[in-house]
Amino acid sequence: MKNVLKKCFMLVILMLFFIPLAAFSANVEPVVSTDWLANNISNPKVVIIDIRKAEDYKENHIQNSINIVAKSWITKKKDILNEMISDDDLKDLIGDAGIRQDSVVVIAGTVAAPIDLVSAARVAWTLIYAGVKDVAILNGGVEKWEKKPKAKPFTPKFDKTLLVNKDYVMKNLDKAIIVDVRPADFYSGDKKQTFVERAGHIKNAKNLPWGTLLNEDKTYKSKDEIEKIMAPVIGTDKTKTIIFYCDTGMFATPGWFMAYSLSGYANAKVYDGSAQEWAADPNVPMDK
Amino acid sequence: MGNENSNEKEGAHKDIRKKPSANLEVCGKCHTEIAGNYSKSLHYTVHGFQHSISRRFSKKEETVFKNKVFGSSCKSCHASCGDCHVLSPSVEGISAGLIEGHKFVKKDEAKTCAFCHGGRVYPEFTGEYGGGVDVHYQKGMTCMDCHKKEGLHGDGNMYLTKNETKARPKCKDCHKTGGEAKATVKLAHSKHEGKVSCYGCHSQGEYRNCYNCHMGKGSTSKPGFMLGKDQRHEKTLTTLRLIPIVKDTFLKAGIKMEGFDNVADYKATPVHNIKKRTERTRSCDVCHVEKKDFLTREMLIEKGSKANENLIFDMKALKIK
Repeated sequence: MKNVLKKCFMLVILMLFFIPLAAFSANVEPVVSTDWLANNISNPKVVIIDIRKAEDYKENHIQNSINIVAKSWITKKKDILNEMISDDDLKDLIGDAGIRQDSVVVIAGTVAAPIDLVSAARVAWTLIYAGVKDVAILNGGVEKWEKKPKAKPFTPKFDKTLLVNKDYVMKNLDKAIIVDVRPADFYSGDKKQTFVERAGHIKNAKNLPWGTLLNEDKTYKSKDEIEKIMAPVIGTDKTKTIIFYCDTGMFATPGWFMAYSLSGYANAKVYDGSAQEWAADPNVPMDK
Repeated sequence: MGNENSNEKEGAHKDIRKKPSANLEVCGKCHTEIAGNYSKSLHYTVHGFQHSISRRFSKKEETVFKNKVFGSSCKSCHASCGDCHVLSPSVEGISAGLIEGHKFVKKDEAKTCAFCHGGRVYPEFTGEYGGGVDVHYQKGMTCMDCHKKEGLHGDGNMYLTKNETKARPKCKDCHKTGGEAKATVKLAHSKHEGKVSCYGCHSQGEYRNCYNCHMGKGSTSKPGFMLGKDQRHEKTLTTLRLIPIVKDTFLKAGIKMEGFDNVADYKATPVHNIKKRTERTRSCDVCHVEKKDFLTREMLIEKGSKANENLIFDMKALKIK
């Protein structure tokens, strides 16, 4: 009998707890997890409001979230702190955020200090006051979302054929296609970097300035366009050994990346030492 | 500089140069243009403060001030490159420390600007002072969205005050009048243009004012809101901030301030708590009938400058046709 009474009591408590939820929140739990948000982040009905300071939001924020700092939702009236903002300001604030009556609003704040933590609830209350029914608080705040993955041991599988040295280049001067990706006047020897000992290019190298792979807006050109640019320089034989270099091995990589990853030149390599190392050795040949 | 082989603080810091960037030539080796401009900027020279205070001095007193006070007092607060990009500048002997370890940071507005402007401007702007968030911050804008690099580093010209600088942001740089959607708003703007500053209507509440000078006794800072004339443009009504100074502030240096009354203690201030709607934009009566928040003779601080009286604005009632 005692157990039956206990169960009835629990049932009543549970009903009391859920009846208001059923009335006010039809489409979302009042507290959502980071997993829930990750699964619903692209739902166009979901509006994520980041209530942290603007600088913190600018530094890093949840994808698709918008920033309305917590202090925007409250005001001081005469000497009374933290009062509801006026109806017209609230109407603008919610409307400017793109929130509609059928939006699912998730409030993401910081949980660093108690006042930060309660600010999320305060904003939720304000939105529900304004008639937005589906309002949720992100459990654990942005900190939980931002929690970095734990470090895991990584076992590399080095492909040492991608990285070649001066000896390799020397041995393959007549066999490989050597590509100088620097601008034409550096290739020709009219200009050189101060840290490069001799002007000119590695003997037999061909010139393919890396900038020619890009559009004016700094995006990469299409695969077709890039292959048309590369073909006259590196040919169409995808098995051929191709060595990219520049002054220090940095600018060689866009050319290599496009050849190897985009166009499937399986034996494309980078000479890491590039002109800085090559030109410093008086025993290796250079052309002008 | 210092001893990198020492594991002890004392040893590691031995012979260290505390402010290497105080010599602008150090940073100027690479950042030539910026350092050149900065050497003439108001942030570096603090000429604005010097110019403002010097109007209270006779010619003779001005020379004494330059020789005895300015270098050791006002100028000691000037910001070197590292003061903004590595550590906080020491204000009144207090430094908030490094921004991000010993690293140079390009900018970290929450810290970089607030280190010096955190007493009133930054907390007003972000709503931490209790008056609500500035509408620009609410929209996600931070300091440098309005205050450009030229305003901070200077543009290579010497200016006496920030009001002369070309890079200083103005409301109208972004908000043009005349194209307002609502007729009432359009009318309000056209009627007040040239007579009331934008802040006069769109500042939303209290901001920090200082009572009693730092050099005097009982210095306090209190919230307030005051509307009065701009001393530089006496026909313009604007928000005023109280920045008082007492007559004996520089007595130790032998300066009596013979021109004490030339400068008002209430300064026209670009308050950083702008809002689209305020009680003054909502009702004409707040100014024209209630004359709410206007500076009055009764409010003036005791023993203040006589110039304060010129800032009192007698608001006329509206003539309704």
